[in-house]
Amino acid sequence: MTYGALISPLGKDEEEHFLAFKKNRSGVRLMEGAGFDGKSWCLSAFDTKDKITYDRLLQHTINQVLAKCPVDIHPSKRIAVVLSTTKANVLPDVSSAFDSSRKMIESSFPEGTDVTIVSNACISGVIAINIAADYIRSDKFDAVCVIGIDVLWDFVVYGFQSLFALSDEACRPYDSQRKGINIGEAAGAVWLTNKVPNRFFVEYLGGASSNDANHISGPSRTGEGLYRAVYRAMKRSNISANDIDFISAHGTATLYNDNMESIAFDRLGLSNIPLNSMKGYFGHTLGAAGVIEVVMSMLSMEHGMLFQSLGYNKNGTDAHVNVITENKQMPVNTVLKTASGFGGGNAALLLRSKS
Amino acid sequence: MSVLCHSYLGPNGAFVNGQKEFDIDFSDRQYLKVIYENLVIDYPKFHKMDVLSKLLILTEELLHEEIPNDVNLEDDMALLMANRSSSAVVDQKFIDSYTLQNNPSPSLFVYTLPNIAIGELSIRRKWYGENSFFIAEQFDANFFIRQCEGAFRNGNTHVLCAWIEADMRGNEECFLFLVTHSEEENLEQALIDILNTYRNE
Repeated sequence: MTYGALISPLGKDEEEHFLAFKKNRSGVRLMEGAGFDGKSWCLSAFDTKDKITYDRLLQHTINQVLAKCPVDIHPSKRIAVVLSTTKANVLPDVSSAFDSSRKMIESSFPEGTDVTIVSNACISGVIAINIAADYIRSDKFDAVCVIGIDVLWDFVVYGFQSLFALSDEACRPYDSQRKGINIGEAAGAVWLTNKVPNRFFVEYLGGASSNDANHISGPSRTGEGLYRAVYRAMKRSNISANDIDFISAHGTATLYNDNMESIAFDRLGLSNIPLNSMKGYFGHTLGAAGVIEVVMSMLSMEHGMLFQSLGYNKNGTDAHVNVITENKQMPVNTVLKTASGFGGGNAALLLRSKS
Repeated sequence: MSVLCHSYLGPNGAFVNGQKEFDIDFSDRQYLKVIYENLVIDYPKFHKMDVLSKLLILTEELLHEEIPNDVNLEDDMALLMANRSSSAVVDQKFIDSYTLQNNPSPSLFVYTLPNIAIGELSIRRKWYGENSFFIAEQFDANFFIRQCEGAFRNGNTHVLCAWIEADMRGNEECFLFLVTHSEEENLEQALIDILNTYRNE
């Protein structure tokens, strides 16, 4: 697996994001009047002067990722795209929200490219990568591109506001003072292939998902779904807790989510593994989150650098989590990525460095 | 790979394994409530759900006795669903809540994701299996088969699949089928035939 694109308020490619993370820069800022009824919230949004729309962001992402296709673009090559998004182009017409994405991918990628769209709330990105890996294993495709994307429609901001889930301060995942989510917009992409790429790549080991079977908009108190998803992913990857160097966790900075994660990780024997949430940098980017956080995890592996989890000061979860408090240079060989979301979904995947 | 059992709920009625259970008065926009009462389900949460969740809960209720109970459904059955319109119906209702009623509704917002239906079914049956929801242009038997193959490769023993659609023009249907990889058969043609029968009855 290689990274292929990354666009967020922090930068327009992987290189810019690596530099931003190295300096612990955040894309989150107070957006005056962005909420319903003129409320102000901390969000990670593109500058309005850049006129980034959903379609333009998707086209930029496609252009970036196509330039990094690990196989020759040739009619004999079997290529698939797995798109991960929660709301796609939901406004102005809800009934055609996903149509423009499919058309844009079909017209940009080589003729015959297979398109799959995953819309499974905040775990969409991790699930999309798991599906892409399975497409490669099935030997039906030579290269599979996973694109994660979501933008900050009023729809989404007003919705999270109505749930009292947003914060007017920079979010603080796992911290005792955490008070809610900063949502964000971004897009990112990765390529999966059986061929050995001529640039940095990591090995996809395995992945899984699970449902909490508990509540549609609140996480399980016992972390049951996350526990089962990670347990399955580790089993399929033949990896034990001691093998893992770093967890790129979900960490939305709501009271319940972060607590749930701490309990699940504790049950899995993962409490001492260095962990971060990237929500302090990107905000919670919904359908993009799993993909862009995997891209950043791959940059951690490439550069041997763990990034500080922004906003964390004092532990505020029931079970211990080993939150990364400053950037650290060290070999990062085996990575666990997790996600949890509405509908009770949880997903996990494991990556291993090849270098 | 083979289909163990299947059910359907749509304009032509409610069916289990190809047999019609009852007719549906689709012109009655309360028809889902009527079916709920006909099936004597005691699950008050049902009334708060969006149309996709209601369709899935009812279609699964029709099928439930056919689902084998000698397997570890809790862990080894993946739930794999797809539709065309995502959660468009409730999306529009949520938009109306802030544009027309000036009051963004949290109880509508939580249903503005299609996979919530999978969550509602998982809660009702205490299923902790794998989840995935896809947006596709139409029912595609081969697509489901491809995803089932992946689920089986990963160690799942069963996959509960659903084509579950509710669009802005009021077209609604749910086709639910349970797949195992015990026997081989021409699943693609079988699925196409089953759904065509249900749609054209």
